[in-house]
Amino acid sequence: MQDGRVTVGRTLRTNWFLGVLVAFLIALPFIVAELTGSSPYGIERGSRIIMRGESAFWMALLIEVFALTVFVMSYNLMFGFTGVISFGHALFFGLGGYTLGMLLQYTALDPNLALVLAVLLTLVLTGLSALLIGLATLRLRGVYFAIFTLAVAEMVWIFVGRWAVTNGEDGFAIDRLPAWIDPSSNRLTLYYIGLFLFVFTFLFIRRIVNSPTGSVFQAIRENEDRARAIGYHTLRYKLVAIIIAGMMAGGAGMLHGILNKKIGPEMFSVSYTVDALLMTIIGGVGTFTGPVIGAAGLHLTETLTRDIVIPLGFTSLRVGDSWLLIQGLIFVIVVMVFPFGLVGTWNRLRMRFRRRPAQAATKSSGKNVKSAG
Amino acid sequence: MNLRKALGNRGSTWLLIAGIFIAILAFSLFSAGGNMGTFAITLLSGLLRGMLLFLVAAGLSLIFGLMDILNFAQGAFFMVGAYLAYDVSHPSGGALTAGAAIPDPNLRFIVGLVLAVIVGGALGFVLERGLLRPLYKRPLFQLVLTFGVSIIMLEGIKAIWGGTPYIWTERLVAQDAQFFVFGQQFSVYRLVIIVVGFALMAGVALLLRRTRIGIIIRAGVQDAEMVNALGINVRAVFTLVFVIGCALAALGGGVAAPFLGATLSMGNTFLLASIAAIVLGGLGSYEGTAIASLLVGLGWATMEQFSVRPEVGTVVASITPMLMLVVILLLKPSGLFGEER
Repeated sequence: MQDGRVTVGRTLRTNWFLGVLVAFLIALPFIVAELTGSSPYGIERGSRIIMRGESAFWMALLIEVFALTVFVMSYNLMFGFTGVISFGHALFFGLGGYTLGMLLQYTALDPNLALVLAVLLTLVLTGLSALLIGLATLRLRGVYFAIFTLAVAEMVWIFVGRWAVTNGEDGFAIDRLPAWIDPSSNRLTLYYIGLFLFVFTFLFIRRIVNSPTGSVFQAIRENEDRARAIGYHTLRYKLVAIIIAGMMAGGAGMLHGILNKKIGPEMFSVSYTVDALLMTIIGGVGTFTGPVIGAAGLHLTETLTRDIVIPLGFTSLRVGDSWLLIQGLIFVIVVMVFPFGLVGTWNRLRMRFRRRPAQAATKSSGKNVKSAG
Repeated sequence: MNLRKALGNRGSTWLLIAGIFIAILAFSLFSAGGNMGTFAITLLSGLLRGMLLFLVAAGLSLIFGLMDILNFAQGAFFMVGAYLAYDVSHPSGGALTAGAAIPDPNLRFIVGLVLAVIVGGALGFVLERGLLRPLYKRPLFQLVLTFGVSIIMLEGIKAIWGGTPYIWTERLVAQDAQFFVFGQQFSVYRLVIIVVGFALMAGVALLLRRTRIGIIIRAGVQDAEMVNALGINVRAVFTLVFVIGCALAALGGGVAAPFLGATLSMGNTFLLASIAAIVLGGLGSYEGTAIASLLVGLGWATMEQFSVRPEVGTVVASITPMLMLVVILLLKPSGLFGEER
């Protein structure tokens, strides 16, 4: 009983922030609705429901943030915790989107059945492609994996961009979504599904990283030769990491597809890979909350500053048009001067200031353990 | 047995190269349908493509061998070269108007090439000194950084010159001069590039084999720390090689502009194709890179010729370099001249 209480206490202490955040996010559509006088259920126009107003806008924005966050967290599992660098993570994102879209639009299946099949098939396809890519290149030095993923993603991008079946570069719209998940009639449901996916991924990654498997991941990141010398089959662990990451990225791609109700080859494009890399680095490589802060911060900044025009000597730049350029500049500056990201730097500072008290705390807790034993 | 003796211990490698070469020739002959003119033009285009690849790949290979950095921005340097050469040569098009001061289009083009080399080298200098040097203790982030720089350069080009592709319209003397192979015409300009490419290939090889700086570079490829311990400023050599590599890539883009134009997608295409070449040649091996560039170029041009057929489709040609890269990585990641790692 006492043990149980201790665990509950500890869980509450380490998770209070997550708990507050989730509670806030659950309530957010209603808070926004209350503040702006709009409705999270949309406006009834005759027999149809139209998603308009601040509440609906914020839900759409946050669903996109959830999709991106899941995508970036999956990248962080590979790059931040296992030390495997990929330049083609968009491959899995696009695979998720295209699997979903093609099952819904290009088969005569019942939409609900197609949705379930899409989830299963995405997990199988992304997992399988991650396994094959990993088997082919993870035995070699890290740079080969980076090259290989870049080449495969680029190849698929070009191919899909010219594939007549899916309308090539234009992509195709999804209009056969079942009504209960359709963001243009029932956005609140999709919002909660996105929130669930986000929380689930966060907890799942934290569970894995804190498990013995996760310790091996981090050992590989620090020094793979040493991890192998201790006797771990490092290839197997790296494969597990990229398979899980690929599946999560596929899930994020599906969420993105459902929200936008449109699938196009840009989902495979290098800009999504850049997003993942950049958001991970800005938030903090190899931290749990870093990718969340990086993804949410960057995406919200992009959306909210889209229409600002920066005068630049003889010409001027609209933020929305040159977002990738701005992102690239942030990218380089962060890599140069801010290598641990926001969360990483914060943790380091805290460690430095707490070093003395922390040592004292270890001593006293050591005593406690002794007296308890 | 005598054959093996004559070829030395690289014998099997040379046989393999001969095998790949013959296979490409055979396929090329097959896809030309026995038309000798088409066949010859395909081979010449392949050599031309191989030379352009070599200009990008030589820098990639030397930089990787010496400093262990795969410079993902190399394709962007190629693109910068192409845009500069285009812009200086076309007084009416592009963003700069300075080219109008020179009346002769041929002279303008040469000035454009010189400008491309200078700007490419200068940007390379800034990249190595300013951005990569502080990161030598964190190699993973160097890789990430060059990737970031490639995006900045791509977007910078887009901001300056816009997203629409430029098609070369000024006529150069060497472009108008044609010669005939089996009844098919081929421009003298392309032949000149092939010859100059071979000259550069030999020149860099001589630099590496016969000069003091070349000896230092080759020693640095073997063990940079050891060279440093011998009292040689390896960092300065790093910068030099990086600048040469970037300038070569910009030159490649410049000479390619008269027939490829200037587009935003050319950088990545050539980057991946030259990565395919250096992987096929064996990472860090100069001879390997030179030979593999030609092989990849020939293979690529052959596939381009093959994909003209309606039942094949042009998408096959556009993914050929990446496909080759993937296949090489799967079959022989250590490459022709590389060591097993």
